Amino acid sequence: MLILIGILVTLLGFLISLFSLTLSSSVGGRFALVVVGLCVSLFGIIGLLNKQYIKNAIWKKG
Amino acid sequence: MKTLHRLLLGLVIAFCLGPLGFSQTPTAPAATPAPAPAAAPKAISEADLANAPVPTPDARTKGDADGSQTGTASDITVSDAKKGITIGDLANQVGQNKIAINFVWTLITGFLVMFMQLGFALLETGLARAKNANHTMMMNLVVYGVGILAYWLIGFSIQMGGVGAIANLGGTPPLNAEHVITLFGKPFGLFGQHGLFLMHKGTYDVGVMVLFLFQMVFMDTGATIPTGAAAERWKFSAFIVTSFLFAAFTYPLFANWAWGGGWLSNLGANFGLGKGYVDFAGSGVVHAVGGLSALAIAMILGPRIGKFTRNGRPQAILAHDIVIVLTGCLILAFGWFGFNPGSTLGASGNGGLRIGSIAVNTMLASATGLLAAMLYMWIVYRKPDASMTGNGFLAGLVAITAPCAFVNPVGAVLIGLLAGVLVCISVSFVERVLKIDDPVGAVSVHGVCGIWGVISVGLFADGKSNYGGSWNGVNGSVTGLFYGDASQLVAQLLGVATLVGFVFVMSFVFGFVIDLLVGQRVSAKSELQGLDLPEMGAVAYPEFELKAEM
Repeated sequence: MLILIGILVTLLGFLISLFSLTLSSSVGGRFALVVVGLCVSLFGIIGLLNKQYIKNAIWKKG
Repeated sequence: MKTLHRLLLGLVIAFCLGPLGFSQTPTAPAATPAPAPAAAPKAISEADLANAPVPTPDARTKGDADGSQTGTASDITVSDAKKGITIGDLANQVGQNKIAINFVWTLITGFLVMFMQLGFALLETGLARAKNANHTMMMNLVVYGVGILAYWLIGFSIQMGGVGAIANLGGTPPLNAEHVITLFGKPFGLFGQHGLFLMHKGTYDVGVMVLFLFQMVFMDTGATIPTGAAAERWKFSAFIVTSFLFAAFTYPLFANWAWGGGWLSNLGANFGLGKGYVDFAGSGVVHAVGGLSALAIAMILGPRIGKFTRNGRPQAILAHDIVIVLTGCLILAFGWFGFNPGSTLGASGNGGLRIGSIAVNTMLASATGLLAAMLYMWIVYRKPDASMTGNGFLAGLVAITAPCAFVNPVGAVLIGLLAGVLVCISVSFVERVLKIDDPVGAVSVHGVCGIWGVISVGLFADGKSNYGGSWNGVNGSVTGLFYGDASQLVAQLLGVATLVGFVFVMSFVFGFVIDLLVGQRVSAKSELQGLDLPEMGAVAYPEFELKAEM
């Protein structure tokens, strides 16, 4: 389940960046939204997906 | 003695000042000839062509030792032997020569890129342990065959089926069908539709063949990146399916958006963001796509047995042959002279003469990447680590791949320098913080430094390049933030967001499904024994005595 959430959050980051094209017409506004989208995607990968895999990592099993 | 010294001193002074005095002696200005009256340009006539000096057949039978009689007007193909050479024949020959130069350039640089497969094979195999050498080498060989087949079947069509005219290759007119949707009131190209099997809709075409070969070896460079991150624990059957999907769908889709006329390349024309997403030779398209796919697979696979202690501390697993690792790095650097300069798709026309600048930028960035990584390791860890120095070398090359055609030499030096430091920090971060086992540093070299390369276009592009007057359908030269165009940086960042948020997810979902269906990882027993015997049926070095881990 957490893996699915991680995938969805990572995709959400991409969508935020994509929608910057229509949500803002200024370069600064688009820049800010794209950076927010990137951060969300990175959180999805590092904070959710990877965390889930580390939880069951082979080295924790001894 | 004193007199001798004075004499010598006098001679030295006279010798030094002599030329100076000579150069400062005013000389009479040379008589400048009066400018000749401008003559009206004379049009070439058919009579001129008929009278062009050509060697006689007799003279040719005697041989042409000095080369003055080979390649003359007699070698121009005539359309009508009775008429002899016409201006039309001459013009056609000039056109064909231009395209021939570009075909030969693109093919030879493509062959150089193909040679990079060997570089990757040696690099990855050397960094693996001896008990996995056959398996690692085989992955690097087989990815070539699987990649070609998948790309020929469908990948090329998705990537380039709607690219439109490529003037340097004679127009490639059959590649003219891009699937387009409307989003935010603008056309969004999603994938190409012509070119299946290189037969579909007129794509059995000389120009298309050249383009296919060049793009295929690029795709295969990307496809071979995950084999490094997944080395020593990847099930061979899962690797084959993953590579097929990469070559057929993951890579071509993003490559279409960036290079095939897709929506990212049109961010400039449709949304006023610089010249659209710009990635000259593929820091993003090839390396970041490969690096992010490697990250997805490495996460799914998990670390090798023994890589981390029970409390999560990383352990060094040593490379079995640093000689072939560094040989591989040098082969890769050699191949990169095909990768970057070849991406002009020609040496004649449309700014093709920038190939020298592109090659020099490539060389400079590799040097600073190498030195930066070496110095970083030397300062931080007290030794100039060989494998990290090699990775810094490659990091500089990966980073300069996108901007090589748009930056000046100083920009190239800085881009490589930062990449060399970045790769060292990133390798440490991936291992110590993310606890991801990447035996060759593929995620850092190709993923992280590929992304850095994409961003660096938006910073360092100096606005001096000119490839036919426009880029991605927007007039003018690609110009980054430091030279006055902040919107180019936004276009680049949107490309990065697509890589991280979409391409990674696509790779991860493919990898996850394969894991569920066939399993991605070999058994613990096979891993401890080494993959050569259980997976491939033979060890790489039969005379060696290999010790299985307990």
